[in-house]
Amino acid sequence: MSHRPVREGGWVGRPLPLKEDARLVAGRGRFVDDLGRPRMLHAAMLRSPHAHARIVSVDTRGAEALPGVFGILTGAEAVARSGPIRPLIPTTAVVPDYCLAVDRARYVGEPVAAVAAVDRATAEDALERIRVEYEPLPVVVDPEAALGADAPLLFPELGTNVVWHDTLTYGAVDEAMARADGVLRERFTIQRYASTPLETFGGIAEYDAGADTFEFWTNDQRPGLTISSLAASLGVPQSRVRLSCPDIGGGFGNKRRPAYLLVCALLARKTGRPVKWIEDRIENLTALMHACNGIMDVELAYRADGTLLALSIRDIADEGKNLVTPTQHNLIKLGNIANGYRIPAVRYEAWSVLTNKCPSGANRGIGKPFMCFAIERAMALLARRLELDPAELRLRNYVTAEQMPYTTPPGARYDSGDYPATLRRALERFGYAERRAEQAASRARDDGRWLGIGIATSVEPAGTNLASYEIVTGRRAASGSAEAAMVRVEPDGAVRVSLGDPPSGQGYETVLAQIVADELGLTPDAVTVTRGFDSATTPWLYLSGNYSNKFSVTDVGAVVGAAARVRDKLLRIAAHRLEAAVADLELSGGAVAVRGAPDRRIAFAELARTAYADVLGLPSGEQPGLEARQAYQNPLAEPMDGERRVRSQLVFSNAAHCCLVEVDRRTGLVKILEYLVVHDCGRELNPLIVEGMVHGATAHGIGAALLEEFRYDAQGQLLASTFMDYLKPTSVDVPLIEVDRLEHPSPVTPLGAKGVGEGGAIPGPAAVANAIEDALAHLGVVVRGLPITPEQIWRWTR
Amino acid sequence: MSVIPPSERLAVRLTVNGRPVEHAVEARRSLADFLREDLALTGTHVGCEHGVCGACTVMVDGRSARACLLFAAQLDGRDVITIEGLTPADGLSPLQECFRACHAMQCGFCTPGMIVTATELLAQDPAPSTEAIREAISGNLCMCTGYVNIVRAIAQAAARAGARA
Repeated sequence: MSHRPVREGGWVGRPLPLKEDARLVAGRGRFVDDLGRPRMLHAAMLRSPHAHARIVSVDTRGAEALPGVFGILTGAEAVARSGPIRPLIPTTAVVPDYCLAVDRARYVGEPVAAVAAVDRATAEDALERIRVEYEPLPVVVDPEAALGADAPLLFPELGTNVVWHDTLTYGAVDEAMARADGVLRERFTIQRYASTPLETFGGIAEYDAGADTFEFWTNDQRPGLTISSLAASLGVPQSRVRLSCPDIGGGFGNKRRPAYLLVCALLARKTGRPVKWIEDRIENLTALMHACNGIMDVELAYRADGTLLALSIRDIADEGKNLVTPTQHNLIKLGNIANGYRIPAVRYEAWSVLTNKCPSGANRGIGKPFMCFAIERAMALLARRLELDPAELRLRNYVTAEQMPYTTPPGARYDSGDYPATLRRALERFGYAERRAEQAASRARDDGRWLGIGIATSVEPAGTNLASYEIVTGRRAASGSAEAAMVRVEPDGAVRVSLGDPPSGQGYETVLAQIVADELGLTPDAVTVTRGFDSATTPWLYLSGNYSNKFSVTDVGAVVGAAARVRDKLLRIAAHRLEAAVADLELSGGAVAVRGAPDRRIAFAELARTAYADVLGLPSGEQPGLEARQAYQNPLAEPMDGERRVRSQLVFSNAAHCCLVEVDRRTGLVKILEYLVVHDCGRELNPLIVEGMVHGATAHGIGAALLEEFRYDAQGQLLASTFMDYLKPTSVDVPLIEVDRLEHPSPVTPLGAKGVGEGGAIPGPAAVANAIEDALAHLGVVVRGLPITPEQIWRWTR
Repeated sequence: MSVIPPSERLAVRLTVNGRPVEHAVEARRSLADFLREDLALTGTHVGCEHGVCGACTVMVDGRSARACLLFAAQLDGRDVITIEGLTPADGLSPLQECFRACHAMQCGFCTPGMIVTATELLAQDPAPSTEAIREAISGNLCMCTGYVNIVRAIAQAAARAGARA
C-alpha cells in the first residue's frame, strides 16, 4: 500500500502539546498501584536465594498460622491448579514451566512460594515463616561454559542448555573471504542491562466463582498475548478472561510476566478475594527481565579501498532462564545484521543458550544495540586499519537512496531513507571537521585533555513479523504484524477512539486524536482517545500490544482505516438526509456540508441521532450505529521463503549519532561534551513526541555504554540489585542531546511514518564507545565490551 | 531506648496539603504508603523504596524529602505537601504548564517527584543556571526523557517567573 499524503494544514505533523501530559503533570495519572478492589488482599513472593538448587521441601505451616494471612501458593500447588506457561516462541526447549518453581530453582530471585494477606507488610512477614529446604546444585553463569558437554544443565531432561544453534548463510561468504584484501576479526561482548521503567510491574486478579471468570488489571504491555497465555494456564476459555491496562509507567519491552499474574489469579481463586501484587525494585532488577548478554565473533571481509565484501558472525545470546521468548535476541537482528551497509554475503551462526540467570526478554531495541555495537565498532577498527576516516568508510558502504527499497541478504527490506545524507547532515551539524581540528590541536598542545569523537549510525527496524520464528521452530504458530482499533461517533456526536496497543508514554491520546481529527474534519480536542486497554471493549488481536516500534507500522493503519469507514458512513447518511451525492459532500467543523453550499450542512450530533435513535431516517440497508472496528495487517509481512529469508521486521528508520567526549586521565571519568542525533523516521506525526523519544532512547544508550550492568558472580549471585549499585543515567550524566531530522516518508505505511521509540538506544552505546576509543587510541586501546566504567579506563591507562 | 514492634500503631497529627490529619499508623508505615494508602493521595509514586529514584519526593516543612525513607510516625507535627497540594484546583501551576509545553514527561511516573524537586529549586534559586537545574534534579530518575525537556521546562518556568517579577 502506498502512503497517503498528509493533509495540508491538517493536525498530523504538528508539535501539539500532549493531552495526557495535563493529567500526568498533576499526578492524576492512574497507574496499576493506584487501583484497588473491594476486599482486596496483597501478595508477596518468596524467592530463591540460590542460582540453582533442588527444592527439597517447602513448609508453609508457620505462615498459615499468622493472623492476616488468607492464602499461600507453592510450586506443587501451582502444578495441581494450573497449566504451564505457554511460550511465545515454541522452540525445541519444551519443558513444562509453571508460575512458581516446582522442584528446582534456576536463578536467584525465582519465585518459590507466594502469600496473600491483608496487607503487603503482613504478607512479607509471612514469607519469613516459610521454611524451604534447598539442595544447591552446580551453577552455570557463563554462556560459553553453558555450551560445554559437561556444563551443569538447567533442564536435564533436555540434555543440553542450548535452545537453538544454527548457521544461516546468504550468498558466497567463503569465496568473498578468500578473495578479500583483508578480513577484520574481532570478538565483542555486551553486558546484561535493562531499561528499568520507573513504575515496576504489577497486577490485580479477581475471580468470580459464580461465573467462573477472571478479571485482571495490569501494566502488562502485550495484553493480547498475555490473555491467551493466562487463559491457557488457567484452563478457561478466553471468553472468561477480561484484562485491562491503566496508564503504564514506562515499558520498553520489560513490562510483561504472565506468571506473576497467574500467581495472583490462583491466590484469588483460592481465597475468594481479589489479590494485588506490585513488584518491588529489587524483584524488578533481580527477576523480571534483562536484555541478553552476548558474545559476537565478527569477521568482516574488505577490499583495500574499504568496500565491504562479506560478513560472518557467530552470536551467542545468553538467555538466562528464558523459556518464553528464547532466540528472540538472535532472530530480530538477523535481517539487519549488516546494519545500513551493502554487504552482499552474510553468514550468521546463532546460539541461544540457557544459564542460571534472570530470564532475558524484550528490552528497547532487542538485540539491535548489540548488532550496532559490534558492526559500528568493527567499522571504527577497520577505518583505523585502512587509515581512512571512519565517516568516509561508512559513506563508501551505505545502502544508498537510489537502491531503496533494498533487500538485505537475510531478507529484510529497507523501504526508504537516505543513509549517506543522514551522516552528512550529522557531520555538518556536529562540525566534524572543526572538532577533528580541535582534537588534533589539543593533542599537539598536550594540554592534558583526552578528547574523542565517536560516530555510529544505524537502521532502526519497526514492527515484528512473527513468521520469522519459523526459522527456529520449523513451523508457523503465529505470523505477521497487525493491530486493531475502533472509531466511534457516540449518540451525541462526540468521537471516541480505542486501540489494542496500550501506551506506556508514547502520547497516543494526542497523536491518535490528531490522526482522527484529520480524517473526520475535527479538531483534536473533539476526539477522545480511551485511556489504556480493556479486552471487553477495546478491539484486539493476539498480536496486540505496545512493542516492537509497531505503532507506525500497524496501529496507524488500523486507526486510519476505522476512521475512514466511519467517515464513509457519515457521508452516506448525510447524503441521504441532504439529498445530495456523496461526492459533493465534505467534512469540517464536526459537520457534513455540501461543497460550495455551506448552509446545506448537518452536524455529527444530528447524524448520530439518526444512526442511533431515529433509525428510520437511515438510508435503505444501512445498519444503525456509527462505529467501525478495523484491524490492519502490514502487507510487508510475508512467510519465510525457501532460502530461509524472512522479513523479521518491516519498516526501517535510520539515524546517525555523533558525540564528543573527554576522558579524565586521573579518574577515568568520561564526560560527554556534545551529543548530536540526526534521525529519519519518515513522516513525524507529532514532532514533540518524536523528539522526546529520541532523547530518552539515546539516554538509554548512554547508560548502557557507561553505567549499567547486571553483573553476576561465579555462584550466580546478582551483584547489582538496587539503584545504588545498578546505576542509571541521571540528569548530570546525560548531556543536552541535540536532534535534527531528515524526513523520507515510508512508502509502505499509511501516513508515511516509521518507527521511532527504540532508535537512540541502538547506536547510542556504539557512538559513546567509539568516542572513548578515539580518545584513547594513542594508547592502543580497543573497546570490546561494555559498560566502559572509570575502573576499566583506569586499567587501560595506568 | 525501647523497641516499638513494627505493627504497633502510633498516633500522628500532621498537616497534609494544608489540611490537618490525625491517624493511627503502624510504626513501620512509610510516609509514601501512608499518603497513598491511608490518605488516597496517589500522585506520590513509589519507584524504588530505597531512596534513589526520587519518584516519591514530597515537601516536608518546605524541604524536599523521600517519602519512602520516612516513617509516617516521624511526621508528627510536620507540614507535608504533595503533588496534589502543588496543583491548583483549576488548571495547572506555571511550572506544570511549562512541563506540559515542553513535553517534559512521557510515562509521567517520575513527574510528580520532579515537580516537587523543581518547586524547591525555584524557591531557593529563582534564576538557576542549566548546571544548577541538572544538579538539583540529579536525585530524580527519569527513564523516558533523557532529562532534556525537563531541564528546558524548569529553565522556561524560571524565565517566565523572572519576566513577571
